[in-house]
Amino acid sequence: MELDAKATRALNYFIPQMVSISKSGMVQVGILLVFILGGLYALVVQIVEGHIVTGMRDNVVWGLYIANFIFFIGISYAGALISGILHLLRVEWRHPIIRIAEIITIISTIIGPAYILLCMGRLDRLHHLALYGRIQSPIIWDVLAISTYLIGSIIFLYLASIRDLAALRDYPFKQKWRKKLYRFLAISFNGNAKQNRFLERGLTIMSAIIIPLAVLVHSVLAWIFGMTLRPGWHSTIFAPYFVVAAVFSGTGVLIIALWVFRKYYHLESYITKIHFNYLGIILMILGALYGYFTFSEYLTSWYGSETWDMEVLYKLFDPHEYWWWFFFSAILGVALPVLVILIPKFRNINSITAVSVIAVFALWVKRYLIIIPTLETPLLPLQDLRPEYIHYTPTIIEWLLTFAGVALFCFLFFLFSKFLPIVSVVKGEEGTNYAELRKKVMQRVLKRKIKEEKRKASQKLQHI
Amino acid sequence: MKNVMKYMLIISLATAITAGKGLAQKAVRKTARVQVEYFKGPDKTENLVATLIVKEKRYVPFGEAMLYFYCLNDTARILLDKIKTNDAGKAVLTVSNNPKITKDPEGKITFIVEYKGSSAVKAAQRKMAIRQGDLELSFFQKDSTKSIEVSATETGADNQRTPIAKVNILFYVQGTFSLYNFAKEKTDENGIVQVAFPVDMPGDTTGVLTIVAKIEENRTYGTIEAKGEINWGKPIQPVKEKKRGLGDTDAPLWMVYTLIVLLSAVWFHYLYVVYMMIKIKLAR
Amino acid sequence: MEKGKKKQSRRKFFFKTATAAIGAIGGAGLIAQSCETKKESGETMTLLSPDGKLVEVDKANVAPARMPAHGKNARKGIPNKKFVMVIDLARCRNARKCVSNCQKMHQLEPEDEWIKVFLMQDSDDTAPYWFPKPCFHCNQPPCVKVCPVGATYKRTDGLVLVDNERCIGCKFCMTACPYSSRVFQWKDPGQGKEDDENYSPETSVPHKVGTVGKCDFCPDMARMGKLPTCVTGCPNGVIFFGDKNEDIVTNGTESFRFSELIYDRAGYHFMAELGTEPNVYYLPPVDRLFDYKKGFKTLTPEQAEFYKKSIVHKH
Repeated sequence: MELDAKATRALNYFIPQMVSISKSGMVQVGILLVFILGGLYALVVQIVEGHIVTGMRDNVVWGLYIANFIFFIGISYAGALISGILHLLRVEWRHPIIRIAEIITIISTIIGPAYILLCMGRLDRLHHLALYGRIQSPIIWDVLAISTYLIGSIIFLYLASIRDLAALRDYPFKQKWRKKLYRFLAISFNGNAKQNRFLERGLTIMSAIIIPLAVLVHSVLAWIFGMTLRPGWHSTIFAPYFVVAAVFSGTGVLIIALWVFRKYYHLESYITKIHFNYLGIILMILGALYGYFTFSEYLTSWYGSETWDMEVLYKLFDPHEYWWWFFFSAILGVALPVLVILIPKFRNINSITAVSVIAVFALWVKRYLIIIPTLETPLLPLQDLRPEYIHYTPTIIEWLLTFAGVALFCFLFFLFSKFLPIVSVVKGEEGTNYAELRKKVMQRVLKRKIKEEKRKASQKLQHI
Repeated sequence: MKNVMKYMLIISLATAITAGKGLAQKAVRKTARVQVEYFKGPDKTENLVATLIVKEKRYVPFGEAMLYFYCLNDTARILLDKIKTNDAGKAVLTVSNNPKITKDPEGKITFIVEYKGSSAVKAAQRKMAIRQGDLELSFFQKDSTKSIEVSATETGADNQRTPIAKVNILFYVQGTFSLYNFAKEKTDENGIVQVAFPVDMPGDTTGVLTIVAKIEENRTYGTIEAKGEINWGKPIQPVKEKKRGLGDTDAPLWMVYTLIVLLSAVWFHYLYVVYMMIKIKLAR
Repeated sequence: MEKGKKKQSRRKFFFKTATAAIGAIGGAGLIAQSCETKKESGETMTLLSPDGKLVEVDKANVAPARMPAHGKNARKGIPNKKFVMVIDLARCRNARKCVSNCQKMHQLEPEDEWIKVFLMQDSDDTAPYWFPKPCFHCNQPPCVKVCPVGATYKRTDGLVLVDNERCIGCKFCMTACPYSSRVFQWKDPGQGKEDDENYSPETSVPHKVGTVGKCDFCPDMARMGKLPTCVTGCPNGVIFFGDKNEDIVTNGTESFRFSELIYDRAGYHFMAELGTEPNVYYLPPVDRLFDYKKGFKTLTPEQAEFYKKSIVHKH
């Protein structure tokens, strides 16, 4: 495949980073591996001893795992919505960030459901979902939606990477496996007009379909909670609320990832302030929207003051229980990103990244606050002498597996960056195609107008 | 039931005290008690059920103990059988068609059930006299009123049947777990009693109800039971399995259709994109 | 060793309950339909059938005493039955015999309670009362709706049961149940093999790790015409059980027409506004037989203190 000068330069810049690893990089990967091993140990303990090793009990049957599940599925929105929308709108500045966004999507869509598995009492009966699945259950909706979403995201990322894979195939790598792999994955792409047309068609379809799919996935996730008769869960706005929260956190993670890769791989020339600014503004808008949803949700239940809702609210507003966490996650974690990005004076790469970190952490806490206080407030509270059955405290096992998930997320990202350039190298032709299309359309419109004029003229002539 | 238990408790306590007077110094031995009940089932089998209980903290059934059943004939005691109690402390003697059982001139049969005691448990015995009664249950309809008729008779020493007058008959509907008492009437001089059929009671799907008439724990006749079935109850709707619904095995159809439409729409596009990939491969 | 002993004692227990249950007057022909014939032990025992007849049975055929339906049959209801429970709150004094009987019947750990007795108070100014709460076996069961694999299911006879051989342990049903009726096996209960052929959703034993359990209304007992163990255990006759179709409920000593009892005593559904249509009805705690304070006597001081503190306000 023929590459232009810019792409060749980029390829030559990325390939050394892909095939080698620095000493500090080794240390960082080592640390990640330690966390992952810690998680593996916890997993073995949990499988051998049963769920008794977790902090979950009959009152709070879902804990950290489910909070992590929502969190990871949430950040998977980064890729889906951001890259889907930006692609559809043909936004020019999307190119350097779209790959990172899509990788976030795929990795988190793999790690998220893993937490559901950790929460299941009988992993050995996973096949029962296929044998006896009932489509009345939101869990089945989730299984179908998430697996469809994951496959769609993989297809999307793959399509968007074919040009780069073709470039890598033509690069003289020393490792044989790389050559074989890239040759296989590049499906004989050489950038001719026909192939470009097919590729563009595929990409457009995928970016169009991934958006409603992403909305559906998070709605279904919200419905797992919304369909139960629980205070704090049984709410009609839960689906859109979850969707907005997900895009909010996804954008935040995307900004953080951009910052990290910019630093790590020295991509200052590719990922610029513009990207941070634009994404920052998106984050701000989503933050405002999310804040609006939060306010609406809690105002409604506080104003109605039904006993059930109030009991959850009291817990959230009680300084001895969850108030400070609630304050951080629902107020500070939303107001701060919005205000910092709103004021141009404060808006810079580091500040945007910093408020993204706050927003992402706040949203994780918010997920925890959605799950735990509600489960601690059943309609018929348990009168149980065992305090651990009433109040939930995550155990070391759960924390280990949580950290292992985050470490695995980083580690998979690292692996990915060793296999594909983290920023797409070969720009598609669709920019010019778009211009051409415009030209063609304009020409067609012009022609039609001319025809019309001619017809009118001839009619006039006949009249005369 | 409870009253009779209480009654028997007092009686047996009294016997135990009198019987145990001579052995007062051997107080270490536990007190035993025999309770005897007479049953005549709807299939006319007659049984004598003896229960042996021993005083621990409270009275508990005493299993694996030998009980001696006697029939009192004039002054002699005729051994009928020796039966070991089961884990519930019960031993059952079949009375019907036992030639050793004889009636006194008044038509009474007197049973004695005895526990001979052991090194750990004191002896106990109990005497019981009964008359052999019988219940016949029949249904009849006059105009539109449906009724149940029960006639109570007893068999005397000369095997002559005479009506039992002024005895309480209890009427029940047989339920799955219990008998539901709907009437209680005394028999007239002819030993006959009539009650209205409980037509508002639900029967089975064809309206069949089982009616039970009883002389219950009577001091003279024990417990006598008669049973009859008739389709005069309110028929119930047969319970059918719901096929489709949120809580049923199969989902509501709109859900199935929605799911199929959604999934096939998405997967069709995926397949189309895969088709595009094949086209890319072919268009090199 | 420990485990072996435990198992043995359990079998013994089984055997004892079996004989006691059979020996007791009332009930139906258990012996006649003696279950799967195991190896004959040669040792026979004499049992009394409910109508006073004596039957000789092989001891091996008596244990286990419970003969539930298995497999597909356990998913169908007992034909033309609609089981209901009526709980008379005016009679309850927290004797906790229903709890302990249930625990014995279902081989539960002492902390696990499938029927719980709550101390309730509707609002600050109203009187506290004891509130026994089994599973409500709702006609619109939220737990059944959400189960992804149909492990928990509604039968035609009104029962909601859990198939612990199908349950994947997702605990969705536990979050869906508004009455906190479900209990999870957090650790291995150590009750024998995984694929125990005696297991039935009708007995819920042996328990399996990582699955959900709950009150099952003892349907295997109902098949024998016997009442659930919480009903027979109650010293005050608080709990009535029966078939709504035949309109008779009983607590073992008294029998009522179900419709009359509900009408006369103003029976109600707990949290009827949830739309779950429970099959458990409550008779309001009016003209109570006992002062609620009596209920503390069955508790340890620690428990009593806890109950007083955590009194449940009905919503």
